[in-house]
Amino acid sequence: MGKINVVTGRGGTGKSTFTTLFAKYVKAKPLLLIDLDPDGSLAKMLGVDLEKAGKWTVADALFEVIGKGKDTKDVPDLLKRKIEDGTILYKDEKFDLITLGTKLAAGCYCLPDEMIKEMLRNLHKNYEMVIVDSPAGLEHLNRKVTPDINDLFVVLDPSEKSAKHIDRIKFVTKGVNISYNHFYLVGNYRFTDEIEAYLLRSGEKYLGRIAYDPLVREHNLKGESLFKIPEDSLSSASVKRILREAGYVLV
Amino acid sequence: MTRKIVSTGRGGAGKSTFVALMSRYLNPPSLLIDLDPDLSLADMLGLDLQKACKRTIVEALYDAVKERQRGGSILTPVEDRFQGLIWADCLYEGKGFDVLTLGTKDLEGCYCFPDHLLRKITSQLSKNYQNVVIDSPAGLEHLNRNIVSEVDDIFVILDPSDKSMTHVKKVKAILKEVGVMYNKFYVLANYMFDEESEKYLKETGETFLGRIDYDKRVEEYNLRGESLRTLPEDSPACRSVRRILEKAGLI
Repeated sequence: MGKINVVTGRGGTGKSTFTTLFAKYVKAKPLLLIDLDPDGSLAKMLGVDLEKAGKWTVADALFEVIGKGKDTKDVPDLLKRKIEDGTILYKDEKFDLITLGTKLAAGCYCLPDEMIKEMLRNLHKNYEMVIVDSPAGLEHLNRKVTPDINDLFVVLDPSEKSAKHIDRIKFVTKGVNISYNHFYLVGNYRFTDEIEAYLLRSGEKYLGRIAYDPLVREHNLKGESLFKIPEDSLSSASVKRILREAGYVLV
Repeated sequence: MTRKIVSTGRGGAGKSTFVALMSRYLNPPSLLIDLDPDLSLADMLGLDLQKACKRTIVEALYDAVKERQRGGSILTPVEDRFQGLIWADCLYEGKGFDVLTLGTKDLEGCYCFPDHLLRKITSQLSKNYQNVVIDSPAGLEHLNRNIVSEVDDIFVILDPSDKSMTHVKKVKAILKEVGVMYNKFYVLANYMFDEESEKYLKETGETFLGRIDYDKRVEEYNLRGESLRTLPEDSPACRSVRRILEKAGLI
């Protein structure tokens, strides 16, 4: 049974950066990564070009059904087939990847999210670990894509809003009945010692901060993969430290 | 005519900061709408909505639904009942600007219904104002829900990453498919840009109105939860927002 770990947080804090380095350094095989963000960037950060690889996102599959005027009840079947034949599932050496993708029609992401939820129910058994990269904000929690979380990582930026964000995550997870084994706070690259001290007093388990790393900024600006960032880079070293603190075995 | 303005962008780019500062310079009265469940606009405006006995749209909606379940006003649909509630309970009236906030939902499901109600209310309320300014949640999903179908000015605030460039393309694709009409589409650089990365923006072919300059005080104010409306007029953030609004012909 694969343990499901979720990375969440306010926008721009570094969720995908953390997820990418998490995937790179954690010892888990097979490992499944899921990008739940419609503004998805995880693939790019992992150095994966889905289009070039001829892969579909979940939204693509939905469009295939709805756009062609077929019944939505055909969707689960189609998804199942498309995962089995590898159209939606990208396979790499270290990980497999499924992305939600951008929806162009009016309405919400309930249906695509529901599809992923349904998929995960069966799929996670094939993996030792699943890491979910969330979209910014809270709405994805309301949709309860992952009802049983092993570790929930909240990546924070240094602002008063982050403190309130923690409360809201707890409010929503409690309200919709999402359970987790651990609730972890991770500071982002803009943290200072002073703010760290503030978080340490929050009563939550604080794992440490992702160090500022000019290499990350450079890679992101150019759209280059973070997966190839050197082992001894500042960001890598700090993410490894954070994962060890949470009790993970690293490669 | 009421001018309808939308501020959007990836998470943490500075959408709410821009809206809070913009509210100082627009012709009064303005209606500011915080669409983000992880709300922070009120904080940035220095408002304590709870203290002012104002509720969020989501809170008022729950009450209306509960009342109906208890058997009260069965003949009035939730939607009609709700409109009265909004005027009385949710609309914060300030000097020169009013505020409505969507709020955080702790029930399972998406924000389609609260957003739908807000869309109806906005079209009725807006005629009382010179400007209606929408502060969006991070990401793209709110665009799919089409809260305002005719926008005058869309500001997309970008952080210096390749993901921002992809984001602009996705925003435009969704607006087109969902049928949101707009007059002007502007891109803004956030405080993390430097001269070199600004070049990227010029290459997008979109109308680039400038950068919201880095301002140490904005960070301090946000950390302490102080109102950005009290930021000194000559501070870099204020000066740059003014410059941007002038270029857009809004002041």
